[in-house]
Amino acid sequence: MEKGHSIRISLAILMLASILVISFNPPALAHKVIVFAWAEGDTVFTESKFSGGKKATGARVLVFDSKGEQLLEGKTDNRGEFTFKIPRLTDLRIVLDAGMGHKAEWTIPESEILEARGVLDKKRSAEPSQPLAAGLSKEEIKEIVEDSLDRKLRPIVRMLADSQSKGPSVNEIVGGIGYIFGLMGVALYFRNRGKKKH
Amino acid sequence: MHISEGVLSAPVLLTGAALAAAGISVGLKKMDPEKIPQVAVLSSAFFVASLIHVPIGPSSVHLILNGINGLLLGWLCFPSILVALALQAILFQFGGITVLGINTANMALPGVICYYLFGKLVNRERRLISLAAAFSCGFLAVFLSGILVALSLLFTEQPFMSVAKLIVVAHLPVMIIEGIITLFCVAFLMRVKPELLRGIHGKGS
Repeated sequence: MEKGHSIRISLAILMLASILVISFNPPALAHKVIVFAWAEGDTVFTESKFSGGKKATGARVLVFDSKGEQLLEGKTDNRGEFTFKIPRLTDLRIVLDAGMGHKAEWTIPESEILEARGVLDKKRSAEPSQPLAAGLSKEEIKEIVEDSLDRKLRPIVRMLADSQSKGPSVNEIVGGIGYIFGLMGVALYFRNRGKKKH
Repeated sequence: MHISEGVLSAPVLLTGAALAAAGISVGLKKMDPEKIPQVAVLSSAFFVASLIHVPIGPSSVHLILNGINGLLLGWLCFPSILVALALQAILFQFGGITVLGINTANMALPGVICYYLFGKLVNRERRLISLAAAFSCGFLAVFLSGILVALSLLFTEQPFMSVAKLIVVAHLPVMIIEGIITLFCVAFLMRVKPELLRGIHGKGS
């Protein structure tokens, strides 16, 4: 009798928690910090936020090279963003330290930086551009396309950054609860089996 | 209040893991078959609570529910919280596997402390005392967890006092809300099932 009662009461607590989740918090929010970074030309942009979308403001950003040497350090602004000029051609490991034990990192490989820079270098070398008359060379067309793609894709890169910070889905939440009750079943099975032997 | 991976040094991680292991072994020893369903339900509540975000203050904070876990489960809150944290790490990427030990210790130890502090007081005849004890239990458990997190960060984030202050201030709304939740849980249990509360300091718990 007592067992049934205590389960019912505990279930009530769980229900309360679930109702709170559903009513207060449509996009599940939570405790994890994320940093997302990408290179454009000779600049690296970083965006930092807690999962659920709250911006990580005033958080420390540390940039390391491939050997683990610290290149520079900065703080995110009130939109959770921090930008810096690429100091040196290397893999960049960007570490976000949001305090209270929250840390995240993101690595930009050298190839990506080279690519972002390559576009810029080409643009500079071709600065005195001839009037676009007749025959455009293959290189020039490629350059133009890359340039405009860069600009057009910028919002998509941002969207990607946003989607990185999505909270847990209902599947994961329900799945987790299911796991716990599965474990309960296993525990009960073994306890009861032990009892019968005695 | 989950500490992320790669923040703490190995000695701190090992200390946390050792503390958690000790607590879990005590908890498992005390786990009667009748208690198992209750542990599972409170573990689920803890698992889900981390998704309830409290949108007050500058940082990102969420409910923890380690007070009610400790009050109703005693040492059993160690296994309960371990399971919930492991699933949070795997499914939500909160915390992580290497920091599982220290995170478990940081959350469960205050629960056990509150169990010893308030377990008897909650059973007092006078309603006012028991309700005040329930509120303090929820409040203090979060507070102590904040202090423990600051202690764990002692070797990485230098000044203890400022980190502790930061965490405690950020969690002040959570403490109050958890105090109220614990109070309502106890008030509810007093009405429908006072034996459960009286059993807090009974055998096997």
